Amino acid sequence: MLVERTLARCATLGMLLASVPFALSAAGDGPPVVVTTDTPEYCHRLIDRISELIESVSQPPPVTVSSLSSEGQRLCDEGHTRPGILRLRRALMLLEQETQSP
Amino acid sequence: MNDLALAVPAEATRHSGPAEERRVLPRTPDLLHSAGFRFAMVYAVLLALSAAALALYLWWATAGLLDRQTEAAIRADAQGLSERWNEGGLPALVITIRERLEQNVDDDAIYLLVDPDMQQITGNLRSWPDPVRRPDVLYELAVVRAGAPTLAQVQRYDLPGGYHLLIGRDVQGRAKLRQLLTDALLWGLIVVAVMALAGAFIVRSLFRRTLANVSATAAAISAGDFSRRVRVSGRGDEFDQLAETINDMLDRIGRLMEGVREVSNAIAHDLRTPITRARTRLEDAALHATTPDALHAAIERATDDLDGIVAVFHALLRISEIEAGSRRSAFTRVDLGAILADTAELYEPVAEEKGLHLAVEVPGGLAVTGDPDMLRQAVTNLTDNAVKFSPSGGIVRLFAAAVPAGVEIAVQDEGPGIPPEDLARATERFFRGEAARSTPGSGLGLALVQAVAHLHGGTLRLDALDPGLRATLCLPAGG
Repeated sequence: MLVERTLARCATLGMLLASVPFALSAAGDGPPVVVTTDTPEYCHRLIDRISELIESVSQPPPVTVSSLSSEGQRLCDEGHTRPGILRLRRALMLLEQETQSP
Repeated sequence: MNDLALAVPAEATRHSGPAEERRVLPRTPDLLHSAGFRFAMVYAVLLALSAAALALYLWWATAGLLDRQTEAAIRADAQGLSERWNEGGLPALVITIRERLEQNVDDDAIYLLVDPDMQQITGNLRSWPDPVRRPDVLYELAVVRAGAPTLAQVQRYDLPGGYHLLIGRDVQGRAKLRQLLTDALLWGLIVVAVMALAGAFIVRSLFRRTLANVSATAAAISAGDFSRRVRVSGRGDEFDQLAETINDMLDRIGRLMEGVREVSNAIAHDLRTPITRARTRLEDAALHATTPDALHAAIERATDDLDGIVAVFHALLRISEIEAGSRRSAFTRVDLGAILADTAELYEPVAEEKGLHLAVEVPGGLAVTGDPDMLRQAVTNLTDNAVKFSPSGGIVRLFAAAVPAGVEIAVQDEGPGIPPEDLARATERFFRGEAARSTPGSGLGLALVQAVAHLHGGTLRLDALDPGLRATLCLPAGG
């Protein structure tokens, strides 16, 4: 009888502990919020930024930057905004590293 | 006259009819009261708890790790932005947020900086989400990205001047992984639960099968079949040990019952003669005694016969008492020198009458822990035999000595001794060898001495000499 009671208590404690991880973060109710950096407008903004940076330096951009930039622009034009934005961001990051390096 | 021979324990030969069998067979317990079911449930619960503990740890180590990583990334982001605020105020913070969004190659960052009126200054959220009201709380937020719903974790930070900053991460991928992991663990727990039940069923079956063997044997023995024994599987496990112990116990019970039967038969056989003789003498005296003296003499002889019978019963009861071990409570330190000296003094007149010499050799201070009365009785019996069977002019030696194993008390005579083929049976009750047929006695003397030896944890050893016999009582020094 003692063994059965001990096992029952352990089972209850186990179930309580198992529920703890699911109660740590608060759930936010309400209408979903729109992320504005997944839009064609943001694509164009990144393209403009890349162009600004290219104009600000004297040498031509690396091939990788040109490739990523054109590919990103093409994807955005075709409606695949998130993959396009991803490539434009990479191109921008590489370009900024180029401009900042001595 | 044969009634005594039939006086065997009724339990040994009871034949059970159907009513007896129904009475002695154990009642099968219902499921909830079954020990096998309880063992099976213990196994199942332990397995399920172990699996749940493992699943909980795996969940914490994987999905929990992902959550902790997200939280750490948001905190690190907040720390960096806080430093920019401290360095350059609002303009620097705005520039930094825009740069971070432009460089967010992981495509998971969420920022929103609003003024005291909750109007957007910069960031990639259009408006402040209503549910996010308290700082230092990690919120799970439903967001829309490129028209598709997804999940984000965000945290609010309140800045000086009434500005508010929201920093977050897109956790859709992590949420999918967490869901996948949770589903896998839940299915795994279900599989474990099924296996636990199957295992519990197997455990219960094994348990019942093993106990059924013992239970069936016990039931058969209760019904009168004393030849049954518990089957030993040969695995040498705890159940085999239990079976062997039970079988040893049954063997001992069988030997004891056989011994009782033998004693009963021996009593019937050996006491029938003196009882018959006493009856015949009394009957003869009643029919043919013509004078009071003749009648008185017949009564005296019959009384002597009955006294002998009483002595036999007294000896048997004494042996039973010794074998029951009840005398161990009377153990004390016993001076062996005193016992041998007293016994020699008691038998000195008889020995002198028979022309025997009694020699006593005991080193001083030799003692054992035991019952003084029992030890004195044993030495007396041995001395009585030695004196009884020694020829005239012989020597009877009583001696004791310390040996590595304990103490030895010996009585040695120069009589006819016991033939080698009878030595093993000499300590049986009522056994009398050929040389003893012509001397008075009941055949219980050596049986009593052996019982005393066993009571003290020792042995009785009989050695045939040429001529004579040496009977040695070997006792441990501690009793």
